[in-house]
Amino acid sequence: MANRLLEVTDLEVAYGDVRALWGVSIHVDAGSVVAIVGANGAGKTTLLKAISGLVPAKRGEIKLSGTSLLGRLPEDIARLGIAHVPEGRGLFRQMTVLENLELGAFQPKARANMKRALEKAYDLFPRLKERTGQKAGSLSGGEQQMLAIARATMSEPSLLILDEPSIGLSPLVVQQMFQLIEALHKQGVTILLVEQNIHQALKIADYAFVLKTGELAMQGTGAELIADPEVQKAYMGVLEL
Amino acid sequence: MTAMANVSWKWAAALLTIILALVPFWPGAIDSYLLSFLFFVFIYAVMAQGWNLVAGFGGQISLGSHAFFGLGAYTTAILWSGNYLWGSLYETFPRIYYFDPVTMVLSGLVAALAAALIGLPLLSKLRGDYFALGTLGFGEIVKVIFVNGGDFTGGAFGVIAPSSTFETLMPHYWTGLGLTVGTAVAIGWLMRSRYGLALIAVRDDEMAASANGINTLKVKVAAFAGSAFIAGLAGSLYSYYIFHVGPDSVFNLDWMLLPLMMTVVGGTGTILGPVLGAFIMYAVFDVARIIVPDYHPIISGLTIILAMLFLPKGLVRKILPMSVARN
Amino acid sequence: MTLPSPEILLQLSINGALGGAMYGVAAVGLSLIFGTMRLIFLAQGAMIILAAYLVRALFQHLGIDPFLSLLIMVPVGLVAGWLIYQGLFRKAAAEEDRNISLLIAVGVMFLVQNLMTVIWGGNTAAVVTTYTASGIELLGVRASFTRSMGFLIALAGTALVVLFLRKTLVGKAVRAASEDMTAATLMGISPHKVNAIAFAIGIALAGAAGVAVATTFPFNPFAGFIFSLKALVALALGGIGNVTGALAGGIILGLIEAYTQFFISGGWTNAIAYGVFLAVLMFKPEGLFSRPYKKA
Repeated sequence: MANRLLEVTDLEVAYGDVRALWGVSIHVDAGSVVAIVGANGAGKTTLLKAISGLVPAKRGEIKLSGTSLLGRLPEDIARLGIAHVPEGRGLFRQMTVLENLELGAFQPKARANMKRALEKAYDLFPRLKERTGQKAGSLSGGEQQMLAIARATMSEPSLLILDEPSIGLSPLVVQQMFQLIEALHKQGVTILLVEQNIHQALKIADYAFVLKTGELAMQGTGAELIADPEVQKAYMGVLEL
Repeated sequence: MTAMANVSWKWAAALLTIILALVPFWPGAIDSYLLSFLFFVFIYAVMAQGWNLVAGFGGQISLGSHAFFGLGAYTTAILWSGNYLWGSLYETFPRIYYFDPVTMVLSGLVAALAAALIGLPLLSKLRGDYFALGTLGFGEIVKVIFVNGGDFTGGAFGVIAPSSTFETLMPHYWTGLGLTVGTAVAIGWLMRSRYGLALIAVRDDEMAASANGINTLKVKVAAFAGSAFIAGLAGSLYSYYIFHVGPDSVFNLDWMLLPLMMTVVGGTGTILGPVLGAFIMYAVFDVARIIVPDYHPIISGLTIILAMLFLPKGLVRKILPMSVARN
Repeated sequence: MTLPSPEILLQLSINGALGGAMYGVAAVGLSLIFGTMRLIFLAQGAMIILAAYLVRALFQHLGIDPFLSLLIMVPVGLVAGWLIYQGLFRKAAAEEDRNISLLIAVGVMFLVQNLMTVIWGGNTAAVVTTYTASGIELLGVRASFTRSMGFLIALAGTALVVLFLRKTLVGKAVRAASEDMTAATLMGISPHKVNAIAFAIGIALAGAAGVAVATTFPFNPFAGFIFSLKALVALALGGIGNVTGALAGGIILGLIEAYTQFFISGGWTNAIAYGVFLAVLMFKPEGLFSRPYKKA
């Protein structure tokens, strides 16, 4: 039996009177890549925000290695080992690449290993090493996304959450992005990924969940879902257009 | 159910207004402390209501309302002492400027015009804190201009209006009450009109409002000018009370800070909040002034801090049902 | 009008710059607090005057030299700032309505002003030492000793703050939080901690500025508000959120004041200062020193 790292049960989230998630349950096993896919407004980003404490849950349970995350502040959840690369990347644009990376290791636990983590990050993202003194805001879109991911790895998190890493990038850079995600996976990083690029996401995912208007529509291994005619019709067909 | 509460609330407010209007007829009330106390409550309530229009409903924090109050006060005092308005009629009717509706409305209009002139560039360029800072700077500039205005504004000393016209506080009291009720009713009505809905739409989401065809700049400038008009009226009323209108008295920052505080304590974005806030906060200040004269500003400061720590959403929302508070 | 001699111009510039540095150091504090909390801390000026009174008290009652009292004022300011945040602003900082924090600042201003009046009276106070009247002469112009010391204090204070923000991880966290608080919390940075740090440093700077003010200007309990306003002008000139810009903005404001006073008249100083302020807010809201931001 695989080791359950993250377990979300019957999660409900509402913005004021508008409910965004209706009893969603997902799980992420340690060492795996899990994808959450679905159309715009399906509640994917909300689910990630609820996990990292940016929006409060109304009902349900979120557990990281058995510890409940409900009611905790985002900064405390980050310290428990979740690194969230948010929508829009959340870079500190006025600060240098190096400073952004250092802040990724802000937590006391990570600070001690900062040097090692920095070397690892620069190994994986050599482009960032070349730009170490440049302001984050001056990087290209792809480089910014790499920096956001590299920064998230600086804390050596037990769970890396990526919200639409491929958004706004050219097809070639998207390819590189997914190669990087696979490389991180090979290093043993557990990844929870939200993507609109469904084909790519399912290809690298060990397991995936399909969200539809705030509810769980389907789940299965990446390969199962790619082969599923429903999924092909509903999501991939659209992409082929 | 809520409609019932609404209707009965309105009756209660009307009844309270009538009772307040009759207070001066109470034997001995004319010379009483109560009357002047209520007069000041009214002035602050009007100022608070004006600030609430632009900041509470419009979402644009203005820190320049003291400038508009002062402009209104100066306009009344200058028109009167220089007899710029009624010419030879003034000799026949020496009391013609005293609580003259034309003078008072003109005072409001001067303030509104100044607000429109400064609001147009400020509001088209500045948002949020920057607008607040801009209005603060504007207020200080107006003050300096009046201090350096030569004979026309009386320089650092100011302008004196003939105080011999003063007989009783009754006209002040009734005008104050009328303005308090009038502004509350007018803004209550305004907020239910198309304009009011547009103003709230701009406050809540400017982009969306603009996408829906609302001219956001026009809506904001109108609220700013409307709020200045109300402040100008309050300033005009105040000049009939002090007669000596000087930069340090009518451009005092307290005319901005206290109404702002009263509104927030009462409840921003509500109609009753500013009135309730003015009554309660002025009562606290005045009681403190009487009981512990040396320490009263300390108590005022403490009250603000405590009110903000424990009542950040305002009293109205705490003590009244939401449906009533909103009206 | 004849053009004044270069000596006079130089003298004006020196007086203006030395005086303006005080606005600058107040603006640096405002800038830090505004950066993380989006709060215009209107009580900063009152805090500076309070510090000036404390400096005077230390000098009169304990015979501590005003400049030596920096060693007391700065640590006391750090602790006081931390406590003020935790006690008064922590709760309001979490609220979306920023009026609440602003009003608490106003309440603090009222409170501090009037506490000072009750304790020390409303009259103008000053600290007079043996070196108050002394000055440094160079190339025919004279710089007052105490003003020069005030300038050095402002410079050193700003330099320390900049070093802290640039070289330490906690300082970088403060900068990160000023730029994007949500992203900062995802790094495990606690908003309350960075806010408290900003406040601690801001009030410590007020302590240092208090030393400079006490030794150079006569002051009274109500002088603080004008000081806050001037600091705001300096802040806008330098670009809100730009720490070195804030100091430079203060110096520029001091120069504007000195020139207006000399060439026009003292009565118009404030109007011109605020006029420049409005113009900068409207036409260059990012401040005078920002380079246009290049997007790749």
